[in-house]
Amino acid sequence: MGLRDYVIIRVLLTIPLVLILLSVVFLLIRVLPGNPCLLKFEHNVNPQLLATCESSLGLNKPLYVQFVDYFLGLFRGNLGLSMVDFQPVSAQILSRFPATLELVLYSFMVAVIVGILLGSLGATRRGSVTDGAVKVIGILLYSWPVFFLGLIFQLIFGVYLNWLPTGGRLCAGCQVPQGLTIGSVHIQTGLYTVDSILAGNLPDLVDSVRHLILPALTLGLVISGVFIRITRTNMLETLRADYVTAARARGLKDRTVVYGYALRNALLPVVTVMGLQFALLLSGAVLTETEFNIDGIGRFLVDRVNFLDYTAIQGAVVFIAILIATVALFIDILYAYLDPRVRL
Amino acid sequence: MNISSYKRKAISTTAIVVVIIIVLVVAAVAAYYAVGGPSTTSSTTSSHSSSTSPTYKNKIIVGTTDTVQTTLDPADAYDYFGISMIQNLGDGLVDYRPGTSQYVPALATSWSVSPDGATWNFTLRQGVKFADGTAFNATAVKYSVDRQFAIQEAAGPFVGAGIGGTGAQCCGVINSTKVLGPYLIQFKLNQPFTSFLGMMAFATMYPVEPKLAPMPAHPHPGTNEGVINYTGNVATENPNQLGPYILSAWQRSAGKDVEIDLTANPNYWNASGGYPKTPNIVISFYSDSASLALAVKTGAVDIAYRQLAATDVQSDETNSALKVWTGPGTFIQYLVFNENVPAFQHQLVREAVAAAVNRTLIDNTVFLGQAEPLYSMIPNGMIYHTDAFQTDYGNANTAKAKSLLTQAGYSTTNKLIVNLTYPTGHYTSTDLISSALKQSLEATGMVTVNLLNQPWSSYKSSTANGQLQAYIYGWYPDYLDPYDYSFPFFPANGVGFLYTHWTNSTASDLLTQISGTSSSTQLTTMYTQLQNIVAQAAPVVPLFQGTSIAVSSPKVSGIVLDVTTNFRYWLLQETT
Repeated sequence: MGLRDYVIIRVLLTIPLVLILLSVVFLLIRVLPGNPCLLKFEHNVNPQLLATCESSLGLNKPLYVQFVDYFLGLFRGNLGLSMVDFQPVSAQILSRFPATLELVLYSFMVAVIVGILLGSLGATRRGSVTDGAVKVIGILLYSWPVFFLGLIFQLIFGVYLNWLPTGGRLCAGCQVPQGLTIGSVHIQTGLYTVDSILAGNLPDLVDSVRHLILPALTLGLVISGVFIRITRTNMLETLRADYVTAARARGLKDRTVVYGYALRNALLPVVTVMGLQFALLLSGAVLTETEFNIDGIGRFLVDRVNFLDYTAIQGAVVFIAILIATVALFIDILYAYLDPRVRL
Repeated sequence: MNISSYKRKAISTTAIVVVIIIVLVVAAVAAYYAVGGPSTTSSTTSSHSSSTSPTYKNKIIVGTTDTVQTTLDPADAYDYFGISMIQNLGDGLVDYRPGTSQYVPALATSWSVSPDGATWNFTLRQGVKFADGTAFNATAVKYSVDRQFAIQEAAGPFVGAGIGGTGAQCCGVINSTKVLGPYLIQFKLNQPFTSFLGMMAFATMYPVEPKLAPMPAHPHPGTNEGVINYTGNVATENPNQLGPYILSAWQRSAGKDVEIDLTANPNYWNASGGYPKTPNIVISFYSDSASLALAVKTGAVDIAYRQLAATDVQSDETNSALKVWTGPGTFIQYLVFNENVPAFQHQLVREAVAAAVNRTLIDNTVFLGQAEPLYSMIPNGMIYHTDAFQTDYGNANTAKAKSLLTQAGYSTTNKLIVNLTYPTGHYTSTDLISSALKQSLEATGMVTVNLLNQPWSSYKSSTANGQLQAYIYGWYPDYLDPYDYSFPFFPANGVGFLYTHWTNSTASDLLTQISGTSSSTQLTTMYTQLQNIVAQAAPVVPLFQGTSIAVSSPKVSGIVLDVTTNFRYWLLQETT
């Protein structure tokens, strides 16, 4: 099977995966007692008005009709209107996505850098105190609840040392970085670090980075636990490989052998895990966004669950599922490209 | 590539990356300090500069966990924060004197009521302008009320608070309005209503700018047609243009506020009085009380108002870098019995629970002394309040509870089972409150309490469906009057929004009489009687009354926390 066929099959497999997930979510949230109309009216409401509300949201239709309607809309690329504020769900999700993406990207960088550095350090000093410390740190970081680590960071770096802000994406009252305008084209990504660079606004860049440090460190360190352990284990394997022994026998410096040869090969399985960890990052982002007051997809989902906003919940789940499936697909393709045995 | 060239490349790549990172970090840090940090956080001072008088900041940052839940349209906003915004962006004909519940003139300079109590005339202040310079007059007031009748948003306050309604939502207090002159407006009521001034001071009755709040072309009362929604354009999403501030920025993401900026309204009728004290207010929104508590501790906000956890407030009280402000609260919380449940049909059982409740335990363990025990549905400090439940049962009166339970047929071997449900994700600390209640009731040795919880999203429908047996609810008033703490809980049919299924014809008659009585002597008698009836029957058991708490920098002044729960941004000041 060629790479193209492999990609096509993987894409085709992703579609039923998302549809099954969406069907489950669609049914599960409707099993919960209540609906957005009952939640909307604080006082005892006239049944006629309740019926009007339910009719306007399509909640009076049989479940299978609602199901078909929603999926037909979905195939037309329409995630529907929020049942709480009647705004397009797709626009709401897209407005929240940059915050999550920025957090996830920087957290991922933290996770990969810390994971690979500590993992390879432990492997090269196997059996030493350093190795023991790396193993303990790896387990601790992996097992530490993300909200707890975040709270500790907020207290130390925010309250006691007062070095870094404890929440938000920019200081209160600060203008959102406007990006770059070239002629009639305006480029604004919603990623404040990128937009402030595009705008050439250094104070905004520093401010947005300062606001990102604690949440990215929190989420990144928790995720890095897996990378530490996998990198260390794989490094130990590759360090025992014949080609490493051969390289050493040729008189190469240990540093070159470890970081030039062994680490590169040890990273292949790490790349696979990255795809899985991305899903974990997104779920961790729900807690991190809440704790650090970041208006991303995670907080959006939590808020909308509280309002039983069916369409918004479905939309957010679809979006996250497609995102994870896309990243997993990308990783699989990358791996298939790197290792032709996968395509056999 | 041979090995030695590879080696050289590996080293040089690493070195380059490290050097680039160092250069970037050093450049960023240097630039940051060179510009003195983010530009907008730097303090700017007002022009009152003299060598002796203090100088004030022209911008104050307020942090909150609230959000505008729907819109800033008085026809629609029925949540605490939405109404709070309207109170600062608009103004009413009548207002409360800060720190009191005393009515003072605002957009109206005087008013009179007919002898039958069903007609009110308000004389409007002359020379008042909307923010865009348009003249304000009686026509604008009539327009605003007529618009409310045209919209009648079913989930909104006009109908919800019983102000007005027609057709399926008939009828509220107001029948119609009539312009008697450019600055004279008349309100005809469906029946005499002694709390009418309180209703007029409620944000729902604030006049709107007709140009920004068009009348629905084809009204469909009960829907939200005609409501002014958030658009992302501050020029069109705020119909309130008569208050101390104008809305200069409203950043909202997916139905939740991110930041709101208020700027002094140059046409505010009381601008000559020096209001607002601070020309710019930035409201920054936080996801939870922990984030907000950190923000005020680190100085990211100047004031934190609503909601802070009791533990954070306690620690802030000992922090010299912070100032804690407290005031009476109007929020009450209470236990409700569903009398369709056989055990709670028995009045002795309800009385026993009322006797066993340990309010001191709730206050001390959950609120660390920051709440007040409550012995009536009418809050402490409000006119006509009596401690009826304390008179009848005392507090944590286990002996009385045991005696009542014994009379009802329960014993230590045949215990009363109470399935107590509390909501999650709405009120604060309901889990802890419920645990304290469990401890209170089980102290009798004759009750077993099963604690259950439901998310707020399903809690109300479960209440309506009769699935809950004993459950917790809270109440913020629509307007400041004992009537708003009585009528909603005890409707004649026993349903209302609490679904107690408790009916009492004497109580219903009293409520009808109260709404049309203006004599304070008669009202005292009637409210006392009503509270006694409720305490004796105990369809609900009042638990506690919250307090309003704000935490600020010690440089902040002008925070007034009073029974109105109106957070007046226009009184705030902060020295540099």
